[in-house]
Amino acid sequence: MTIQSTLAGSYPKLPTEPGDVNVRVIRNRVDAGRATEKDLADAVSATTKRVLDLQEKQGVDLPMDGQIAWDDAQTYVARGLKGVMIAGLLRYIDTNTYYRQPEIVGPIEWTQPITAADFRAAQAMSARPLKAFLPGPYSLYRFSKDIRYGDPIAGAGAYGVALAAEAAALEEAGATWIHFEDPWLGRARAEDARAVVAAYEPLLAGRRAKTMVHVPFGAPQQVFDDLRPLPWSGIGLDLIEGPGGWDLLPRIPEGRTVGLGLLDARNTRLEEPAAVAASVARARAARPDLDIHISPTASLEYLPADTAEKKLERLVAATRAAREGA
Amino acid sequence: MPRGLWTTTVGSFPKPPRLEKVRQQAARGEATPEALHAMEREETVKLIQRQDEIGLDILVDGELYRGDMTTYFAERTPGFAISKPVRSYGNRYYRKPVAVGPIRRKEPWTVAWWKFAQEQTKKPIKGMLTGPYTMMDWSFNEHYPSRAAMTMDLAAAVNEEALALQEAGATHIQIDEPAISVRPDELSLAVKAFARATEGLKAKTITHICYGDFHVIYPALLDLPVDQIDLELANSRYDLLDRFREHRFTKEIGYGVLDVHSHRIETKEEIKEGILRGLEVLKPEQIYVDPDCGLKTRTPDEAFAKLEAMVAAVREVREEKGITG
Ligand SMILES: [Zn+2]
Repeated sequence: MTIQSTLAGSYPKLPTEPGDVNVRVIRNRVDAGRATEKDLADAVSATTKRVLDLQEKQGVDLPMDGQIAWDDAQTYVARGLKGVMIAGLLRYIDTNTYYRQPEIVGPIEWTQPITAADFRAAQAMSARPLKAFLPGPYSLYRFSKDIRYGDPIAGAGAYGVALAAEAAALEEAGATWIHFEDPWLGRARAEDARAVVAAYEPLLAGRRAKTMVHVPFGAPQQVFDDLRPLPWSGIGLDLIEGPGGWDLLPRIPEGRTVGLGLLDARNTRLEEPAAVAASVARARAARPDLDIHISPTASLEYLPADTAEKKLERLVAATRAAREGA
Repeated sequence: MPRGLWTTTVGSFPKPPRLEKVRQQAARGEATPEALHAMEREETVKLIQRQDEIGLDILVDGELYRGDMTTYFAERTPGFAISKPVRSYGNRYYRKPVAVGPIRRKEPWTVAWWKFAQEQTKKPIKGMLTGPYTMMDWSFNEHYPSRAAMTMDLAAAVNEEALALQEAGATHIQIDEPAISVRPDELSLAVKAFARATEGLKAKTITHICYGDFHVIYPALLDLPVDQIDLELANSRYDLLDRFREHRFTKEIGYGVLDVHSHRIETKEEIKEGILRGLEVLKPEQIYVDPDCGLKTRTPDEAFAKLEAMVAAVREVREEKGITG
């Protein structure tokens, strides 16, 4: 049994120190024709380095690259798939943030690696192994407009196959953990279970890297029995917006990892490390056999950069306290 | 002769480039607040004249003096602080309100602007507020023990402002709740808060809802104690009309016919077709034709061209169907 700290998605792109490279400013300059795409790529790279350094300095056990070049949690991947177009802006679940809707117009096909080069570049800047990020296949389908398959089982299944190829490319690039952000699993009903399984079966089959299926903004209660037999390595729970996740703990198969989303990524109120550690102790009492990832409930990009940094501090302090209690 | 098919807009208009420039200068301390305010007034006068010229029936002040739907109110309200920038999409950021103490309305938020705008025209100017549920949902909360407690304090504050607008003479008060369509489990809280926010109002009440999964909250949405619900029809290719066939839409509708996310100017013909489709399931006196959402993301030229096409389309439908205003 191990306890590790990790992120659960992207990280704010803006600097907290004046004078630090600001990717937002550079993008505005590129739009105004006063900077080049190369300048932007350099700024993305410098910001990625800053986010990785920050995690290293704070002591995050399993860092992520922050997805500095991403506009939202799926466009970056969806636009790289054949058969998928990118359409209008929609709200991302119930957050006051937006994404461009993928539109499935032809058979979904993975033709080349989309995120592997980014992963390699980020990994080269970090002393610790990084956890890679991909959108979850079920949510990717639910976020899409499907004018090709007209059937969630076929459409979500096709995304599962395509993301499996991307996951293989990440493994090839050295990823040992891959995080799948799948908020719609928390909203799926029993009748959606076949589409969920169709999405995850091809994705999880034969994976070399460990896989974390992370469900922000809710708990996957209605489809957990269907997810249970699949070979994921970890299930990530948002225990603030989905307290029903506590009821799933006893049902997690042996030998897996549970992600405990205990730091609210959607509110600036800061958690007390002791209170977080107490929640970890509660989880350990229920399941002493499971490995534990302590994380924010979701991407820290819902917070201003200064607060995100404080949440990171609390995350690491809470993990330390939880280990001492263990 | 049946009456109906009045024209209006959802609320926000694009800020003219010269105003944007002075706003940025003011933010950097290179222009005085007085200079900014003077230009906001000047541009608001022009905008109201322009809406009159286009021939809209119910006008707005255009919100040229507001940055954002929630932050504008929070900046004027004790109990709120304002966060550092948070990303909304791509390279767009906004500052988010943070509840840090009890939220109380200490001074009018919009009454002076409403009065100023109404002095410029004989047509009604809508009072424009953001609803309590949306203000709660789009803020951080470091003070309240629950989302409900924060929402109800905001509802009381919105109610004070709505009553003050009515007192000043507003006959149409719009309280926007774009966040309402995303958490079906909180719809009853939103309805309760809306009832509190509109307590004692005799003015016509309107709410604008967008960007969500309409299907999961309809027809429960009709429980909202409001006279008119403003919806985006064009963006969803009018597929809401199928839902209205299954379950009749019982209130007035703000009938969105212009896609505010597209640079393209809709043709008069396609807008007419959209309105005619609406008349298959709605009565003309229910319908207020307008854009899908606020026009602030378009250029001024695009916004006015879209509205001109919309008014022309409505005129022709009225003529063909024998509907008067
Ligand atoms: Zn809207």
